[in-house]
Amino acid sequence: MSRIVVVEDEEHLAAGIRFNLELDGYEVETIGDGLRALERLAPAPDGSQPPAPVDLVLLDVMLPGLDGFQIVERMRQAGNFVPVLMLTAKGLPEDLVHGLETGADDYLAKPFDLTVLLARVRGLIRRRDWARGASEGPERARVGEAQVDFRSFELQRAGTTVHLTLLEAMLLKLLVQRRGQVVSKAEILEKVWNLSADTETRAVDNFVMRLRRHLDDDPRSPRLLQTVRGVGYRLAEP
Amino acid sequence: MPGTSQLSRSRRPKWHYVAVGVGLIVVAVVLTVAWQILAASETAGRAVSSARAVAYFFGSLLFLLLIAGLVLIVILLLREVRLNERQSNFVSAVTHELKTPVASLKLYLDTLEFREVPLERRAEFYRTMRQDIDRLNTTINSVLNAAMYTDRPVAEPRPLDLARLVRRAVELTITRFQLPRGAIRCEGADSLRLAGDAQALEIAVLNLLDNAVKYSKDRVQVEVETWADADGLAHVRVRDHGIGMSRTHLPFIFTRFYRIGAEVRRSRTGTGLGLFIVRSIMKGHRGTISADSAGPDRGSTFTLSLPGVLEPEPEREPEAARV
Repeated sequence: MSRIVVVEDEEHLAAGIRFNLELDGYEVETIGDGLRALERLAPAPDGSQPPAPVDLVLLDVMLPGLDGFQIVERMRQAGNFVPVLMLTAKGLPEDLVHGLETGADDYLAKPFDLTVLLARVRGLIRRRDWARGASEGPERARVGEAQVDFRSFELQRAGTTVHLTLLEAMLLKLLVQRRGQVVSKAEILEKVWNLSADTETRAVDNFVMRLRRHLDDDPRSPRLLQTVRGVGYRLAEP
Repeated sequence: MPGTSQLSRSRRPKWHYVAVGVGLIVVAVVLTVAWQILAASETAGRAVSSARAVAYFFGSLLFLLLIAGLVLIVILLLREVRLNERQSNFVSAVTHELKTPVASLKLYLDTLEFREVPLERRAEFYRTMRQDIDRLNTTINSVLNAAMYTDRPVAEPRPLDLARLVRRAVELTITRFQLPRGAIRCEGADSLRLAGDAQALEIAVLNLLDNAVKYSKDRVQVEVETWADADGLAHVRVRDHGIGMSRTHLPFIFTRFYRIGAEVRRSRTGTGLGLFIVRSIMKGHRGTISADSAGPDRGSTFTLSLPGVLEPEPEREPEAARV
Protein backbone atom coordinates (compact mmCIF):
# COMPACT_ATOMS: atom_id res chain seq x y z
CA MET A 1 0.00 0.00 0.00
CA SER A 2 1.36 3.43 -0.89
CA ARG A 3 1.70 6.01 1.86
CA ILE A 4 0.89 9.62 1.03
CA VAL A 5 1.66 12.63 3.24
CA VAL A 6 -0.75 15.55 2.75
CA VAL A 7 0.70 18.87 3.95
CA GLU A 8 -2.23 21.30 4.02
CA ASP A 9 -3.22 23.78 6.73
CA GLU A 10 -6.80 24.20 5.54
CA GLU A 11 -8.59 21.53 7.55
CA HIS A 12 -11.51 21.21 5.15
CA LEU A 13 -9.27 20.54 2.16
CA ALA A 14 -7.02 18.18 4.11
CA ALA A 15 -10.03 16.17 5.34
CA GLY A 16 -11.61 16.02 1.86
CA ILE A 17 -8.38 14.93 0.20
CA ARG A 18 -7.78 12.34 2.91
CA PHE A 19 -11.28 10.89 2.52
CA ASN A 20 -10.77 10.42 -1.23
CA LEU A 21 -7.24 9.04 -1.07
CA GLU A 22 -8.25 6.54 1.61
CA LEU A 23 -11.15 5.37 -0.53
CA ASP A 24 -8.60 4.68 -3.28
CA GLY A 25 -6.63 2.51 -0.91
CA TYR A 26 -3.77 4.82 0.07
CA GLU A 27 -2.51 5.27 3.59
CA VAL A 28 -2.75 8.97 4.39
CA GLU A 29 -1.02 11.21 6.93
CA THR A 30 -2.05 14.86 7.19
CA ILE A 31 0.20 17.61 8.53
CA GLY A 32 -1.04 21.16 9.10
CA ASP A 33 2.09 23.30 9.34
CA GLY A 34 5.37 23.80 7.58
CA LEU A 35 7.78 23.11 10.40
CA ARG A 36 6.15 19.84 11.38
CA ALA A 37 6.12 18.82 7.71
CA LEU A 38 9.84 19.45 7.54
CA GLU A 39 10.40 17.39 10.69
CA ARG A 40 8.48 14.54 9.10
CA LEU A 41 9.95 14.74 5.60
CA ALA A 42 13.50 15.87 6.30
CA PRO A 43 14.17 14.68 9.85
CA ALA A 44 17.40 15.64 11.54
CA PRO A 45 19.67 12.58 11.75
CA ASP A 46 19.62 12.16 15.53
CA GLY A 47 19.79 8.40 15.67
CA SER A 48 16.11 7.94 16.52
CA GLN A 49 14.05 5.54 14.49
CA PRO A 50 13.42 6.92 10.99
CA PRO A 51 9.73 7.55 10.23
CA ALA A 52 7.75 5.30 7.90
CA PRO A 53 8.81 5.72 4.26
CA VAL A 54 6.60 7.95 2.14
CA ASP A 55 5.64 7.33 -1.51
CA LEU A 56 4.18 10.71 -2.38
CA VAL A 57 3.81 14.17 -0.82
CA LEU A 58 0.91 16.53 -1.56
CA LEU A 59 2.21 19.93 -0.57
CA ASP A 60 0.38 23.24 -0.17
CA VAL A 61 2.42 26.40 -0.86
CA MET A 62 0.97 28.81 1.71
CA LEU A 63 1.64 27.21 5.08
CA PRO A 64 2.21 28.51 8.58
CA GLY A 65 5.83 28.25 9.69
CA LEU A 66 7.55 27.44 6.42
CA ASP A 67 6.24 27.73 2.86
CA GLY A 68 5.95 24.82 0.44
CA PHE A 69 8.81 25.92 -1.83
CA GLN A 70 11.19 25.98 1.13
CA ILE A 71 10.01 22.57 2.29
CA VAL A 72 10.74 20.91 -1.07
CA GLU A 73 14.11 22.57 -1.26
CA ARG A 74 15.11 21.44 2.23
CA MET A 75 13.76 17.94 1.61
CA ARG A 76 15.94 17.61 -1.46
CA GLN A 77 18.95 18.98 0.40
CA ALA A 78 18.36 16.46 3.17
CA GLY A 79 18.36 13.65 0.61
CA ASN A 80 14.62 12.96 0.49
CA PHE A 81 13.69 12.44 -3.17
CA VAL A 82 10.10 11.31 -2.78
CA PRO A 83 7.81 12.69 -5.55
CA VAL A 84 6.14 15.98 -4.58
CA LEU A 85 2.85 17.28 -6.00
CA MET A 86 2.38 20.96 -5.18
CA LEU A 87 -1.10 22.37 -4.55
CA THR A 88 -1.63 26.09 -4.46
CA ALA A 89 -4.23 28.81 -4.76
CA LYS A 90 -1.95 30.81 -7.04
CA GLY A 91 -2.17 29.32 -10.51
CA LEU A 92 0.25 31.56 -12.39
CA PRO A 93 2.60 29.96 -14.94
CA GLU A 94 5.65 31.44 -13.22
CA ASP A 95 4.59 29.75 -9.99
CA LEU A 96 4.55 26.47 -11.86
CA VAL A 97 8.08 27.00 -13.09
CA HIS A 98 9.22 28.20 -9.69
CA GLY A 99 7.71 25.10 -8.08
CA LEU A 100 9.37 22.77 -10.55
CA GLU A 101 12.70 24.56 -10.21
CA THR A 102 12.77 24.15 -6.44
CA GLY A 103 12.40 20.41 -6.91
CA ALA A 104 8.67 19.66 -7.00
CA ASP A 105 7.59 17.03 -9.53
CA ASP A 106 4.15 18.23 -10.44
CA TYR A 107 1.86 21.16 -9.79
CA LEU A 108 -1.91 21.56 -9.42
CA ALA A 109 -3.78 24.88 -9.00
CA LYS A 110 -6.67 25.25 -6.55
CA PRO A 111 -9.52 24.79 -7.15
CA PHE A 112 -8.81 21.47 -8.81
CA ASP A 113 -11.00 18.66 -10.16
CA LEU A 114 -11.11 15.62 -7.91
CA THR A 115 -10.62 13.33 -10.91
CA VAL A 116 -7.57 15.31 -12.03
CA LEU A 117 -6.06 15.18 -8.54
CA LEU A 118 -6.52 11.42 -8.30
CA ALA A 119 -5.13 10.89 -11.82
CA ARG A 120 -2.03 12.97 -10.98
CA VAL A 121 -1.51 11.02 -7.77
CA ARG A 122 -1.77 7.70 -9.63
CA GLY A 123 0.48 9.10 -12.36
CA LEU A 124 3.22 10.14 -9.96
CA ILE A 125 3.21 6.83 -8.11
CA ARG A 126 3.21 4.98 -11.43
CA ARG A 127 6.00 7.16 -12.83
CA ARG A 128 8.05 6.41 -9.76
CA ASP A 129 7.61 2.70 -10.46
CA TRP A 130 8.40 3.30 -14.13
CA ALA A 131 11.60 5.18 -13.35
CA ARG A 132 12.55 2.40 -10.94
CA GLY A 133 12.31 -0.05 -13.81
CA ALA A 134 9.27 -1.92 -12.56
CA SER A 135 7.71 -1.92 -16.00
CA GLU A 136 10.23 -1.53 -18.78
CA GLY A 137 13.71 -0.44 -19.65
CA PRO A 138 17.04 -1.11 -18.02
CA GLU A 139 17.52 -1.26 -14.27
CA ARG A 140 21.11 -0.14 -14.62
CA ALA A 141 23.01 1.73 -17.25
CA ARG A 142 26.52 2.95 -17.89
CA VAL A 143 26.69 6.54 -19.08
CA GLY A 144 30.27 7.54 -19.88
CA GLU A 145 32.19 6.98 -16.67
CA ALA A 146 29.06 6.97 -14.54
CA GLN A 147 27.07 3.98 -13.38
CA VAL A 148 23.34 4.65 -12.88
CA ASP A 149 20.97 2.51 -10.84
CA PHE A 150 17.37 3.33 -11.76
CA ARG A 151 15.97 1.32 -8.83
CA SER A 152 17.72 3.31 -6.14
CA PHE A 153 18.05 6.54 -8.22
CA GLU A 154 21.79 6.47 -7.51
CA LEU A 155 24.51 7.65 -9.83
CA GLN A 156 28.11 6.65 -9.11
CA ARG A 157 31.01 8.38 -10.73
CA ALA A 158 34.68 8.60 -9.74
CA GLY A 159 33.99 7.07 -6.34
CA THR A 160 31.17 9.43 -5.34
CA THR A 161 27.46 8.64 -5.23
CA VAL A 162 24.86 11.20 -6.25
CA HIS A 163 21.16 10.76 -5.56
CA LEU A 164 18.93 11.70 -8.51
CA THR A 165 15.42 13.10 -8.08
CA LEU A 166 12.53 11.22 -9.65
CA LEU A 167 12.44 13.55 -12.63
CA GLU A 168 16.21 13.55 -13.14
CA ALA A 169 16.10 9.76 -13.13
CA MET A 170 13.17 9.69 -15.56
CA LEU A 171 14.84 12.14 -17.93
CA LEU A 172 18.08 10.18 -17.88
CA LYS A 173 16.24 6.90 -18.40
CA LEU A 174 14.40 8.31 -21.39
CA LEU A 175 17.69 9.47 -22.91
CA VAL A 176 19.38 6.13 -22.16
CA GLN A 177 16.55 4.21 -23.82
CA ARG A 178 16.93 6.36 -26.92
CA ARG A 179 20.71 6.56 -26.84
CA GLY A 180 22.18 8.04 -29.99
CA GLN A 181 18.88 9.54 -31.09
CA VAL A 182 17.67 13.09 -30.65
CA VAL A 183 14.81 13.41 -28.13
CA SER A 184 12.75 16.56 -28.63
CA LYS A 185 12.00 18.97 -25.79
CA ALA A 186 8.29 18.51 -26.46
CA GLU A 187 8.55 14.75 -25.99
CA ILE A 188 10.51 15.19 -22.76
CA LEU A 189 7.86 17.59 -21.42
CA GLU A 190 5.11 15.13 -22.24
CA LYS A 191 6.78 11.93 -21.09
CA VAL A 192 8.63 13.14 -18.03
CA TRP A 193 6.52 16.06 -16.82
CA ASN A 194 3.10 15.10 -18.20
CA LEU A 195 2.86 18.68 -19.46
CA SER A 196 1.54 19.65 -22.86
CA ALA A 197 4.34 20.24 -25.37
CA ASP A 198 3.65 23.97 -25.75
CA THR A 199 4.18 24.83 -22.08
CA GLU A 200 6.71 27.65 -21.78
CA THR A 201 9.19 26.39 -19.26
CA ARG A 202 12.89 26.29 -18.66
CA ALA A 203 12.44 23.21 -16.52
CA VAL A 204 13.87 20.81 -19.13
CA ASP A 205 16.96 22.98 -19.67
CA ASN A 206 17.47 23.20 -15.93
CA PHE A 207 17.24 19.47 -15.49
CA VAL A 208 19.60 18.82 -18.43
CA MET A 209 22.09 21.18 -16.80
CA ARG A 210 21.75 19.35 -13.51
CA LEU A 211 22.35 16.00 -15.21
CA ARG A 212 25.39 17.33 -17.05
CA ARG A 213 26.98 18.31 -13.77
CA HIS A 214 26.75 14.66 -12.72
CA LEU A 215 27.85 13.17 -16.05
CA ASP A 216 30.31 15.37 -17.91
CA ASP A 217 33.76 16.54 -16.92
CA ASP A 218 33.13 20.00 -18.26
CA PRO A 219 29.38 20.76 -18.17
CA ARG A 220 29.89 23.81 -20.40
CA SER A 221 31.17 21.79 -23.35
CA PRO A 222 29.36 18.51 -22.82
CA ARG A 223 30.48 15.44 -24.74
CA LEU A 224 27.88 13.03 -23.39
CA LEU A 225 24.61 14.91 -23.01
CA GLN A 226 24.51 17.04 -26.14
CA THR A 227 22.20 19.85 -27.12
CA VAL A 228 20.93 19.59 -30.68
CA ARG A 229 20.10 23.22 -31.36
CA GLY A 230 16.44 23.83 -32.11
CA VAL A 231 15.53 20.13 -31.85
CA GLY A 232 16.27 18.66 -28.47
CA TYR A 233 18.86 16.61 -26.61
CA ARG A 234 20.88 13.51 -27.36
CA LEU A 235 22.89 11.13 -25.24
CA ALA A 236 26.06 10.13 -27.12
CA GLU A 237 26.63 6.46 -28.00
CA PRO A 238 29.06 4.75 -25.63
CA MET B 1 17.90 33.04 -3.15
CA PRO B 2 15.86 30.29 -4.75
CA GLY B 3 13.95 29.57 -1.54
CA THR B 4 12.25 32.94 -1.36
CA SER B 5 8.70 33.09 -2.56
CA GLN B 6 7.34 34.55 -5.74
CA LEU B 7 6.02 37.52 -3.81
CA SER B 8 9.27 38.72 -2.40
CA ARG B 9 11.09 38.09 -5.65
CA SER B 10 8.76 40.25 -7.67
CA ARG B 11 8.85 43.25 -5.37
CA ARG B 12 12.51 43.41 -4.63
CA PRO B 13 13.66 45.46 -7.68
CA LYS B 14 11.65 48.54 -6.64
CA TRP B 15 13.99 49.12 -3.72
CA HIS B 16 16.76 49.87 -6.22
CA TYR B 17 15.00 53.11 -7.16
CA VAL B 18 14.91 54.13 -3.51
CA ALA B 19 18.62 53.35 -3.24
CA VAL B 20 19.33 55.49 -6.32
CA GLY B 21 17.31 58.35 -4.82
CA VAL B 22 19.16 58.18 -1.51
CA GLY B 23 22.48 58.02 -3.39
CA LEU B 24 21.55 61.15 -5.36
CA ILE B 25 20.71 63.03 -2.16
CA VAL B 26 24.08 62.12 -0.66
CA VAL B 27 25.86 63.29 -3.84
CA ALA B 28 23.92 66.56 -3.84
CA VAL B 29 24.68 67.24 -0.18
CA VAL B 30 28.39 66.46 -0.62
CA LEU B 31 28.56 68.68 -3.72
CA THR B 32 26.86 71.57 -1.92
CA VAL B 33 29.13 71.39 1.09
CA ALA B 34 32.29 70.99 -1.00
CA TRP B 35 31.29 73.86 -3.25
CA GLN B 36 30.63 76.12 -0.26
CA ILE B 37 33.99 75.26 1.28
CA LEU B 38 35.81 75.83 -2.00
CA ALA B 39 34.06 79.13 -2.64
CA ALA B 40 34.69 80.28 0.91
CA SER B 41 38.41 79.44 0.80
CA GLU B 42 38.76 81.16 -2.57
CA THR B 43 37.24 84.41 -1.36
CA ALA B 44 38.89 84.27 2.03
CA GLY B 45 40.74 87.46 2.73
CA ARG B 46 39.32 89.16 -0.35
CA ALA B 47 36.44 91.54 -0.14
CA VAL B 48 33.24 90.00 -1.40
CA SER B 49 31.23 92.14 -3.75
CA SER B 50 27.53 92.41 -3.01
CA ALA B 51 26.68 90.97 -6.45
CA ARG B 52 28.66 87.85 -5.60
CA ALA B 53 27.03 87.57 -2.20
CA VAL B 54 23.63 87.66 -3.84
CA ALA B 55 24.75 85.01 -6.35
CA TYR B 56 25.99 82.80 -3.48
CA PHE B 57 22.78 83.28 -1.59
CA PHE B 58 20.53 82.30 -4.51
CA GLY B 59 22.90 79.53 -5.61
CA SER B 60 22.76 77.97 -2.16
CA LEU B 61 19.01 78.42 -1.99
CA LEU B 62 18.51 76.67 -5.33
CA PHE B 63 20.77 73.85 -4.28
CA LEU B 64 18.86 73.40 -1.03
CA LEU B 65 15.63 73.36 -3.01
CA LEU B 66 17.12 70.66 -5.24
CA ILE B 67 18.01 68.55 -2.21
CA ALA B 68 14.59 69.08 -0.68
CA GLY B 69 13.00 67.99 -3.96
CA LEU B 70 15.09 64.83 -4.02
CA VAL B 71 14.19 64.02 -0.43
CA LEU B 72 10.52 64.51 -1.29
CA ILE B 73 10.79 62.20 -4.31
CA VAL B 74 12.43 59.50 -2.22
CA ILE B 75 9.74 59.77 0.46
CA LEU B 76 6.98 59.53 -2.14
CA LEU B 77 8.72 56.60 -3.78
CA LEU B 78 9.06 54.81 -0.45
CA ARG B 79 5.36 55.27 0.22
CA GLU B 80 4.57 53.97 -3.25
CA VAL B 81 6.79 50.93 -2.70
CA ARG B 82 5.11 50.18 0.63
CA LEU B 83 1.63 50.55 -0.85
CA ASN B 84 2.61 48.32 -3.74
CA GLU B 85 3.92 45.74 -1.36
CA ARG B 86 0.75 45.82 0.70
CA GLN B 87 -1.38 45.64 -2.44
CA SER B 88 0.48 42.61 -3.71
CA ASN B 89 0.04 41.06 -0.26
CA PHE B 90 -3.64 41.92 -0.42
CA VAL B 91 -4.09 40.31 -3.82
CA SER B 92 -2.30 37.26 -2.51
CA ALA B 93 -4.40 37.16 0.67
CA VAL B 94 -7.70 37.69 -1.14
CA THR B 95 -6.78 35.10 -3.77
CA HIS B 96 -6.11 32.68 -0.95
CA GLU B 97 -9.24 33.68 0.98
CA LEU B 98 -11.45 33.28 -2.09
CA LYS B 99 -9.85 30.27 -3.72
CA THR B 100 -9.48 28.11 -0.64
CA PRO B 101 -13.20 27.85 0.20
CA VAL B 102 -14.02 27.50 -3.50
CA ALA B 103 -11.48 24.67 -3.78
CA SER B 104 -12.97 23.02 -0.71
CA LEU B 105 -16.55 23.38 -1.98
CA LYS B 106 -15.53 21.93 -5.34
CA LEU B 107 -13.71 19.04 -3.72
CA TYR B 108 -16.72 18.13 -1.55
CA LEU B 109 -19.20 18.50 -4.43
CA ASP B 110 -16.99 16.27 -6.61
CA THR B 111 -16.75 13.77 -3.77
CA LEU B 112 -20.52 13.70 -3.26
CA GLU B 113 -20.99 13.25 -7.01
CA PHE B 114 -18.39 10.56 -7.67
CA ARG B 115 -18.30 8.61 -4.42
CA GLU B 116 -20.64 6.56 -2.32
CA VAL B 117 -20.65 8.62 0.85
CA PRO B 118 -22.20 7.12 4.00
CA LEU B 119 -25.04 9.12 5.50
CA GLU B 120 -23.25 10.41 8.60
CA ARG B 121 -20.23 11.53 6.57
CA ARG B 122 -22.63 13.26 4.21
CA ALA B 123 -24.00 15.40 7.07
CA GLU B 124 -20.44 16.31 8.02
CA PHE B 125 -19.66 17.27 4.41
CA TYR B 126 -22.69 19.56 4.26
CA ARG B 127 -21.58 21.25 7.47
CA THR B 128 -18.09 21.75 6.04
CA MET B 129 -19.51 23.21 2.85
CA ARG B 130 -21.75 25.59 4.76
CA GLN B 131 -18.71 26.87 6.69
CA ASP B 132 -16.88 27.40 3.41
CA ILE B 133 -19.76 29.46 2.11
CA ASP B 134 -19.74 31.53 5.33
CA ARG B 135 -16.04 32.13 4.87
CA LEU B 136 -16.53 33.24 1.26
CA ASN B 137 -19.32 35.52 2.37
CA THR B 138 -17.14 37.09 5.07
CA THR B 139 -14.38 37.86 2.58
CA ILE B 140 -16.81 39.30 0.05
CA ASN B 141 -18.41 41.45 2.77
CA SER B 142 -15.15 42.84 4.02
CA VAL B 143 -14.09 43.82 0.50
CA LEU B 144 -17.49 45.47 -0.06
CA ASN B 145 -17.46 47.19 3.35
CA ALA B 146 -13.98 48.54 2.74
CA ALA B 147 -15.25 50.14 -0.47
CA MET B 148 -18.50 51.34 1.11
CA TYR B 149 -17.18 53.04 4.25
CA THR B 150 -13.99 54.62 2.92
CA ASP B 151 -13.85 58.42 3.25
CA ARG B 152 -17.56 58.81 3.67
CA PRO B 153 -19.40 60.55 6.53
CA VAL B 154 -22.52 58.90 7.89
CA ALA B 155 -25.34 59.89 5.56
CA GLU B 156 -28.20 59.83 8.04
CA PRO B 157 -27.22 59.55 11.69
CA ARG B 158 -30.05 57.98 13.66
CA PRO B 159 -30.38 57.55 17.41
CA LEU B 160 -29.20 54.12 18.52
CA ASP B 161 -28.27 52.31 21.70
CA LEU B 162 -24.56 51.55 21.53
CA ALA B 163 -24.56 49.35 24.66
CA ARG B 164 -27.28 47.16 23.23
CA LEU B 165 -25.54 47.03 19.86
CA VAL B 166 -22.34 45.86 21.55
CA ARG B 167 -24.22 43.18 23.53
CA ARG B 168 -25.83 41.91 20.33
CA ALA B 169 -22.45 41.79 18.56
CA VAL B 170 -21.03 39.79 21.48
CA GLU B 171 -23.93 37.29 21.27
CA LEU B 172 -23.42 36.96 17.53
CA THR B 173 -19.70 36.35 17.90
CA ILE B 174 -20.25 33.70 20.60
CA THR B 175 -22.70 31.88 18.30
CA ARG B 176 -20.55 32.25 15.20
CA PHE B 177 -17.40 30.83 16.80
CA GLN B 178 -19.33 28.41 19.04
CA LEU B 179 -17.62 29.80 22.13
CA PRO B 180 -18.52 28.83 25.69
CA ARG B 181 -20.65 31.35 27.63
CA GLY B 182 -18.36 33.73 29.44
CA ALA B 183 -15.58 33.56 26.87
CA ILE B 184 -16.49 37.16 26.05
CA ARG B 185 -17.45 39.17 29.14
CA CYS B 186 -19.53 42.29 28.62
CA GLU B 187 -19.53 45.15 31.15
CA GLY B 188 -20.45 48.78 31.46
CA ALA B 189 -23.45 50.94 30.71
CA ASP B 190 -26.87 49.33 30.31
CA SER B 191 -27.88 51.86 27.75
CA LEU B 192 -25.80 54.40 25.87
CA ARG B 193 -27.61 56.43 23.27
CA LEU B 194 -25.94 58.28 20.43
CA ALA B 195 -26.60 59.22 16.82
CA GLY B 196 -24.96 57.15 14.11
CA ASP B 197 -25.24 54.40 11.53
CA ALA B 198 -26.20 51.29 13.49
CA GLN B 199 -25.25 48.86 10.70
CA ALA B 200 -21.79 50.39 10.27
CA LEU B 201 -21.12 50.51 14.00
CA GLU B 202 -22.14 46.88 14.35
CA ILE B 203 -19.68 45.94 11.59
CA ALA B 204 -16.96 47.86 13.43
CA VAL B 205 -17.63 46.14 16.77
CA LEU B 206 -17.97 42.71 15.10
CA ASN B 207 -14.64 43.20 13.33
CA LEU B 208 -12.93 43.97 16.63
CA LEU B 209 -14.53 40.92 18.28
CA ASP B 210 -13.62 38.69 15.31
CA ASN B 211 -10.01 39.81 15.63
CA ALA B 212 -10.02 39.26 19.38
CA VAL B 213 -11.18 35.66 18.87
CA LYS B 214 -9.03 35.01 15.79
CA TYR B 215 -5.84 36.20 17.46
CA SER B 216 -6.53 34.47 20.77
CA LYS B 217 -4.42 31.52 21.79
CA ASP B 218 -5.97 28.19 22.79
CA ARG B 219 -8.46 29.67 25.23
CA VAL B 220 -10.57 32.63 24.17
CA GLN B 221 -10.92 35.25 26.90
CA VAL B 222 -12.15 38.66 25.85
CA GLU B 223 -13.41 41.60 27.92
CA VAL B 224 -15.68 44.22 26.41
CA GLU B 225 -16.59 47.43 28.18
CA THR B 226 -18.91 50.23 27.09
CA TRP B 227 -19.08 53.60 28.88
CA ALA B 228 -19.67 57.32 28.43
CA ASP B 229 -17.26 59.90 29.83
CA ALA B 230 -17.83 63.39 31.16
CA ASP B 231 -16.92 65.00 27.81
CA GLY B 232 -19.88 63.35 26.09
CA LEU B 233 -17.74 60.70 24.37
CA ALA B 234 -18.88 57.08 24.16
CA HIS B 235 -16.19 54.41 24.39
CA VAL B 236 -16.09 50.71 23.56
CA ARG B 237 -13.03 48.79 24.69
CA VAL B 238 -12.25 45.25 23.49
CA ARG B 239 -9.41 43.55 25.33
CA ASP B 240 -8.06 40.09 24.47
CA HIS B 241 -5.31 37.91 25.93
CA GLY B 242 -4.10 36.64 22.58
CA ILE B 243 -0.95 36.85 20.52
CA GLY B 244 -0.68 40.66 20.75
CA MET B 245 1.96 42.41 18.68
CA SER B 246 5.21 44.29 19.00
CA ARG B 247 4.95 48.06 19.37
CA THR B 248 6.56 48.64 15.97
CA HIS B 249 3.42 47.35 14.23
CA LEU B 250 0.94 49.50 16.19
CA PRO B 251 1.11 52.62 13.99
CA PHE B 252 0.41 50.61 10.84
CA ILE B 253 -2.34 48.16 11.72
CA PHE B 254 -5.15 50.47 10.60
CA THR B 255 -3.59 50.93 7.17
CA ARG B 256 -5.38 49.30 4.28
CA PHE B 257 -4.02 45.81 3.43
CA TYR B 258 -1.54 45.88 6.31
CA ARG B 259 -0.87 42.46 7.81
CA ILE B 260 1.89 41.38 10.13
CA GLY B 261 4.33 38.84 8.73
CA ALA B 262 4.88 37.21 5.33
CA GLU B 263 1.82 36.18 3.36
CA VAL B 264 3.14 32.74 2.34
CA ARG B 265 3.69 31.68 5.91
CA ARG B 266 0.38 32.94 7.19
CA SER B 267 -1.33 30.94 9.90
CA ARG B 268 -4.41 33.12 10.36
CA THR B 269 -6.91 33.91 7.66
CA GLY B 270 -7.72 37.47 6.63
CA THR B 271 -7.35 40.15 4.01
CA GLY B 272 -5.81 43.07 5.91
CA LEU B 273 -9.05 45.02 5.64
CA GLY B 274 -10.78 44.48 9.02
CA LEU B 275 -9.18 47.25 11.08
CA PHE B 276 -9.07 49.56 8.06
CA ILE B 277 -12.86 49.20 7.83
CA VAL B 278 -13.22 49.92 11.57
CA ARG B 279 -11.12 53.05 11.23
CA SER B 280 -13.09 54.21 8.18
CA ILE B 281 -16.38 53.75 10.04
CA MET B 282 -14.99 55.65 13.03
CA LYS B 283 -13.87 58.49 10.74
CA GLY B 284 -17.35 58.59 9.23
CA HIS B 285 -18.71 59.12 12.76
CA ARG B 286 -15.98 61.67 13.60
CA GLY B 287 -14.76 59.15 16.15
CA THR B 288 -11.39 57.53 16.73
CA ILE B 289 -9.92 54.10 17.27
CA SER B 290 -6.80 53.36 19.24
CA ALA B 291 -4.82 50.20 19.79
CA ASP B 292 -2.43 49.06 22.46
CA SER B 293 -0.45 45.92 23.13
CA ALA B 294 2.15 45.21 25.78
CA GLY B 295 4.02 43.06 23.26
CA PRO B 296 3.88 39.71 21.49
CA ASP B 297 1.83 37.09 23.39
CA ARG B 298 0.56 39.71 25.82
CA GLY B 299 -2.81 40.50 24.29
CA SER B 300 -4.20 43.59 22.57
CA THR B 301 -6.66 46.30 23.51
CA PHE B 302 -8.71 48.28 21.02
CA THR B 303 -10.77 51.30 22.03
CA LEU B 304 -13.45 53.02 19.96
CA SER B 305 -14.39 56.57 20.91
CA LEU B 306 -17.47 58.25 19.48
CA PRO B 307 -18.78 61.78 19.99
CA GLY B 308 -22.40 62.82 20.26
CA VAL B 309 -23.78 60.91 23.25
CA LEU B 310 -27.50 61.72 23.56
CA GLU B 311 -29.42 62.31 26.75
CA PRO B 312 -30.97 59.12 28.14
CA GLU B 313 -34.44 58.52 26.81
CA PRO B 314 -37.19 59.89 29.06
CA GLU B 315 -38.86 56.99 30.83
CA ARG B 316 -42.37 58.12 30.10
CA GLU B 317 -42.17 57.90 26.30
CA PRO B 318 -41.78 54.21 25.66
CA GLU B 319 -43.19 54.51 22.09
CA ALA B 320 -40.18 56.47 20.87
CA ALA B 321 -37.80 53.70 21.90
CA ARG B 322 -39.49 51.25 19.59
CA VAL B 323 -39.08 53.39 16.46
